[in-house]
Amino acid sequence: MATLAHPEVLAPDFAPRSRPRIPRVIGGVLPGTLLVVIALLGPLALMFRYSFNRFVPGELMVEGFTLANYAKFLHDAFYRDVLLTTLWVAALSTLICLALGFPVAYALVRQVGSRWKSRLLILIILPLLMGNAVRTAAWMVILGDKGLLAALVSAVGLTPPRLMYTPTAVVIGLVSVTLPFMIVTLQSVIERIDPVLEEAAESLGAGHLTILRRVVLPLALPGLLAGTMLCFILSMNAYATPVLIGGPQFHMMAPEVYQQVAKAMNWPFGAALAFVLMTVTLVLTTTANVLVQRRYRRWSE
Amino acid sequence: MSRAGIRRTYGAISGTVLAFIVLPLVVIVWVSFFANRILAFPAHGYTLDWYARALDTDAFRDGFITSVQTALFATAASLALGVPASLGLVRGRFPGRDAVQALLLAPMVVPGIVGGAALFIAFIEVEALLDIQVAGTIGGLLVAHTLIALPWTIRLVSASLASADRAIEEAAASLGAGPLTVLRRVTLPAIRPAIVAAALFSFVISFIDLEKSIFLVGPGRTTLQIALVNYLEWNLDGTVAAVATVQILIVGAALLVSDRYARLAQAF
Amino acid sequence: MSTTVALRSLIKRYGGFTAVDDITLDVPEGQLVALLGPSGCGKTTTLRMVGGFVETDAGSILIGGRDVTRLPPAKRNIGFGFQSYALFPHMSVAQNVAFGLEMRRLPRAEIASRVARALDRVRLSAMSDRLPKQLSGGQQQRVSLARALVIEPSVLLLDEPLSNLDAQLRGEMKLEIRQIQKAMGITTIFVTHDQDEALSIADRIVVMRAGRIEQDGSPEAVFGAPRSRFVAEFMGVTNLLPGTVEGPGLFRLADGNAIRVPGAVAGRGTTVLAIRPERVRISFPGADTEPDMLDAEIEAATYRGLSVEYRLRTTSGLCLTARRATPATGGPVMLEPGARVHVAVPPDACHFVPVEL
Repeated sequence: MATLAHPEVLAPDFAPRSRPRIPRVIGGVLPGTLLVVIALLGPLALMFRYSFNRFVPGELMVEGFTLANYAKFLHDAFYRDVLLTTLWVAALSTLICLALGFPVAYALVRQVGSRWKSRLLILIILPLLMGNAVRTAAWMVILGDKGLLAALVSAVGLTPPRLMYTPTAVVIGLVSVTLPFMIVTLQSVIERIDPVLEEAAESLGAGHLTILRRVVLPLALPGLLAGTMLCFILSMNAYATPVLIGGPQFHMMAPEVYQQVAKAMNWPFGAALAFVLMTVTLVLTTTANVLVQRRYRRWSE
Repeated sequence: MSRAGIRRTYGAISGTVLAFIVLPLVVIVWVSFFANRILAFPAHGYTLDWYARALDTDAFRDGFITSVQTALFATAASLALGVPASLGLVRGRFPGRDAVQALLLAPMVVPGIVGGAALFIAFIEVEALLDIQVAGTIGGLLVAHTLIALPWTIRLVSASLASADRAIEEAAASLGAGPLTVLRRVTLPAIRPAIVAAALFSFVISFIDLEKSIFLVGPGRTTLQIALVNYLEWNLDGTVAAVATVQILIVGAALLVSDRYARLAQAF
Repeated sequence: MSTTVALRSLIKRYGGFTAVDDITLDVPEGQLVALLGPSGCGKTTTLRMVGGFVETDAGSILIGGRDVTRLPPAKRNIGFGFQSYALFPHMSVAQNVAFGLEMRRLPRAEIASRVARALDRVRLSAMSDRLPKQLSGGQQQRVSLARALVIEPSVLLLDEPLSNLDAQLRGEMKLEIRQIQKAMGITTIFVTHDQDEALSIADRIVVMRAGRIEQDGSPEAVFGAPRSRFVAEFMGVTNLLPGTVEGPGLFRLADGNAIRVPGAVAGRGTTVLAIRPERVRISFPGADTEPDMLDAEIEAATYRGLSVEYRLRTTSGLCLTARRATPATGGPVMLEPGARVHVAVPPDACHFVPVEL
């Protein structure tokens, strides 16, 4: 029998649970890690290097080391505005997501039976998986000059507002992409809050809003943070929505990166834009994370 | 406010928000039957012509085939890489495990456009070095899509592994099963639902990807999403809505099936 | 500020299942009532209805004569002790205790002094800055008690407050709850499935079964004179022998043997004789004989420390359990299975409960 090859079978040592099988098991992470290193980390490093290259029109690869691309970004009012637009559009959509997502997540956990909850969750996730292209097309049909909204508004006798190709339309489009993420993240963290805590607060005289503020929100903080960061990152990097709903006059960072790398073939500047976008996103989300974690750490550990 | 009042308030807010989330889906399916030449309200009549037109449009037909092929490959590859990786992450205890986990989930965090641009530049570099074509070929697309699907597979499978009862593996070991037998006979069957869900989810995630693919498609090798965006830049007619409806049906079916195997909300 | 609680024909249904079925109960001021019963008997649902967490389908709840049936928990001025303690994990001990006072918008200084007093009463003053998870189970329980009591509630409602503690702590907490309750003179309803707990803590025990009250009385009455087979079994009566009363002082068992019972038993007819196992006397053949002895054989013996429990079978086939104190000195500690003994039941140990169909 194989007992000699597997001495743990003779003397099973259950106490340190994962000790016996380490070598074989960790081998499993290697191929996947390799793919991520080769197809993500490597290219990112290469692109980072490119952001310091000089740009010579017509030639893709010109070695060099210059900060000109970053300087161009800082000095060119156009790109500064693109970043500012991206920031406020992302921040606004994230705030709207938070305000709309929390009540839905709370209601899903506390006021809906488990069967209906899983059905509603599918209903919430399904539009997310329509794909950005299809969803954006739908918003074009809804918000367009001869769209559903315009038809409904004129049916009541009012003049329909021009929404297509406005920042408002972009924010609407972005919220519809990110809201499901927010709801799903929040509901999973609210799920873990013992409802008896809310009853305890109630028995001590707290009204519903007080319970939300003093008990549910502090306990949901990690999920709130995760959802907020997710929505913010998704909005900062949105591509299809600003391009198709924002129109040619509306500029956000991700489409500019595509423009520079794939159309203008200015890789060094495109790379610099990509890293500005990533850095700004990272710095903002990390700061938020640190600030919130500081309040949260004491009782979470 | 009374309990009933609180309930009603939540109900009203949730109903409105749900309607907002589902609205694009309902509208796109609805207008796919409009007879209007350009999509507009109200409908001039109803027709099935757009579905026939969508089938006749080469870009959509070829894009669909490319997307399905790519998604099937990405699904298989992400399972082949993701299941062993999940086992290693959940069952292994090794230095740097958290870092490896962060790395494996990174493709989900790095924005699609940035990752796509980086991959595009890297492919061209490789082409210049080795004198083979990568960008614009199906090979480049397959690498990128495997990368997109991998973290989702790892999340679903890891969640299932972490919640699986270790005692049943120990019971099998105590009954004389070697590690590989335990894996094959006990561990994998226990997480099979998560694997099925991960497969369907990987397929969907790859199928609908736009941002990463946009750099990597080439002439004659376009995915359905890129074909749709290209078409939308110049047209807004029922063809798009018809394609979208078919896509919604496929994705919806995959989603419903996979939700029977694992709670999809876990993946987010 | 303590006051009476009255439940009037309370009913709660879940679908087709009636969890609480017409419960009427009056708790006088300062009394500690234990709702006792197995899981699913409706005791917790009843308590949660008094707390306001479960809406009533019919009936009414009065606290201090005021109808609170439709009031939310926040407006009932109750102190609720949850089974899991339900301490807010993100607040310190002092913040937990202060919460209810903050809800009542008391001035800061008063909150501080009342929190200090409440923590002092449960001997946790030194822990006021700790977080709940840094406390032991017993300490958490005391915080939960302090938090419920600091708001000076009209009534204290405790849901299985001792079930998450180990045996030794449970004993201590039992005493502590009893002391505080008496000292404050607060009307208390206490839910438990543990008869020992109920017996040692309550002024009055209400035994519940399938949503109804099975027996309502003093601990002595419920223990000593269970009114039904269910209550008898729940109180640890293991010998329930069907038979007929054949006249004053004589009970004919199903196997034909007769047992002498207190002469006061009136009437005739089929009934069930209930005898606690510790009242069944075992003696050896040859030792001093008693009237009404039955011959029996020991089938099994279980050592329980202070006592030994025996399963006996009489020659006529009757099954009995007996519990015998472990002798302090001399004689064998345990009788071996197979040994032949005499069994006697003193008349005053006999008690009758109705036959149930």
